[in-house]
Amino acid sequence: MTAAETPETENAPSAGVALAVRNLSVSYGNVVAVHDATFTVAEGDACAIVGPNGNGKSSILMGVTGMIRRRGAVEIFGAQARNGDVRWAARHGLTLVPERRQLYPDLSTADNILLGCYTWTRSIGKARRSGPFDRAIELFPELNLHLKQLAGTLSGGQQQMVAIARGLAADPKILAVDEPCLGLAEAVAKRVYDALAKIHQQGTTLIVVEEAPKRALTLCNRRVEVRNGVAGDSVAGAA
Amino acid sequence: MMKFGNLLIAGITTGAIYAMFAVCVSVWYRVSNILNLAVGDFAMIGALGVDNLYRVKGLPLPVAIVCTLLVVAAFAYVYDQVVLRIAQDGPQRMDGIVVTFFFTFALSFFIDGVAKMLFGTDVHAAPALWNGASLSLGSLHFERAGLLVLACAVIIGGAFWVYIRFTLGGKALEASGENSVGARIVGIDTRRYRRLIFVGTAVIAAVFGIVESPLTGFTYLSGATISLTGFLAAAYGGFRKPGRALLAGLFIGVLEAMLGGYVSAEYGDTVLYAILAALVLAWPRQLGFESAVSG
Repeated sequence: MTAAETPETENAPSAGVALAVRNLSVSYGNVVAVHDATFTVAEGDACAIVGPNGNGKSSILMGVTGMIRRRGAVEIFGAQARNGDVRWAARHGLTLVPERRQLYPDLSTADNILLGCYTWTRSIGKARRSGPFDRAIELFPELNLHLKQLAGTLSGGQQQMVAIARGLAADPKILAVDEPCLGLAEAVAKRVYDALAKIHQQGTTLIVVEEAPKRALTLCNRRVEVRNGVAGDSVAGAA
Repeated sequence: MMKFGNLLIAGITTGAIYAMFAVCVSVWYRVSNILNLAVGDFAMIGALGVDNLYRVKGLPLPVAIVCTLLVVAAFAYVYDQVVLRIAQDGPQRMDGIVVTFFFTFALSFFIDGVAKMLFGTDVHAAPALWNGASLSLGSLHFERAGLLVLACAVIIGGAFWVYIRFTLGGKALEASGENSVGARIVGIDTRRYRRLIFVGTAVIAAVFGIVESPLTGFTYLSGATISLTGFLAAAYGGFRKPGRALLAGLFIGVLEAMLGGYVSAEYGDTVLYAILAALVLAWPRQLGFESAVSG
């Protein structure tokens, strides 16, 4: 599987590099999921990682954020990222909103969002009074009625909002969102994308993994395409 | 009425011990998905270790207690770093029923063997921390060691409740048990919590062994019985709900005392386990047993 990096607009951002990925490879046992992926995301970009299912898109994000171990180099705002260290990545500004949300179902909605603050504080008072927590709650006013409800009892769309809000509470400079609309109705998917657009407008660099490039490209100004059989391009994956 | 009151006091005291061990089992299971079948053995080491250092080696009691707790903490730390780390964090991560039971079951046998060599096979107990005759309130009698057990249960249980309910660290601990992938995403070190709780519950168990042993006495084999009762009470919360495990522990303690007092001292335990089994058969879902099986 191979991926190509394509600027979608004539005016590619000239700001500093937020994320630089060089020769990234990710394997699950003997199965190589991503092979020699190389791409950069500039500060302020909204970058879509697109391609068919099973081509290594999510594995790129997992490797970059340190959720799984990788080969190759990852730099976040110029600092060399530690391999397999999610906390390091989060503290240096890169936060993942994972596929299938990965919430804590028996904790309340508010606690789920609050735990996003764990990346930068251990004080529950400081977390509750913080700007990132307020920003996360304000972005999804529809969650206000459900803050005490257990996250596992929310609808799929609400759970996705909680996952994004938890990511925002981590105060990210780069928010990496994996398949944000998986299993959601069109109207809910639109709501999620509106929220992502707002997050981007507020200055956060976005990386969105999407199977459906059409939807992702309504928001993103850059594209990293992960696909099979294209040799010699800058990003490559193999399933 | 007097008999009922005294049985209730005895039941709550025993139940508090069961409850604390059940909480230890369920809290650690939440974090690690491993059942700690050695929790009672740490209690036994606490009781017999203090007895040995104080009575045989002649150390002052506070020094004996601190030394014993330090040894328990150090041993639990090393066991986590060496054995559990290989089992759960190694290149070939092990999962499933074998890991859930095997490593702490083996640990339990190991501790029993070492305790037999060190302390022999006789019944011993740590010296009473609060000496004197039992206290009376009207016709009700309170054992001093029993009151200490209750005080420890309230202080340790209360501190733990406050930690879970009101701190971000406590919520992170819960999140580790709920979803380890989701926990890692926000930078929670799930391994650190597993180690912290394993060492912490080992020390808590040892404290309870020290405080409780003047009531019952301990041999090197006493740990298994304590673990079993804690395990049983924890099962009533699907092994994942410390609050329910605590209530179940208290319930089992009181029921055991009432059956012993009103039904039969000889067959009380048999009737107790029959009732517990009947409850599970009647309400498996409500009592958390289905979630215990399905994880």
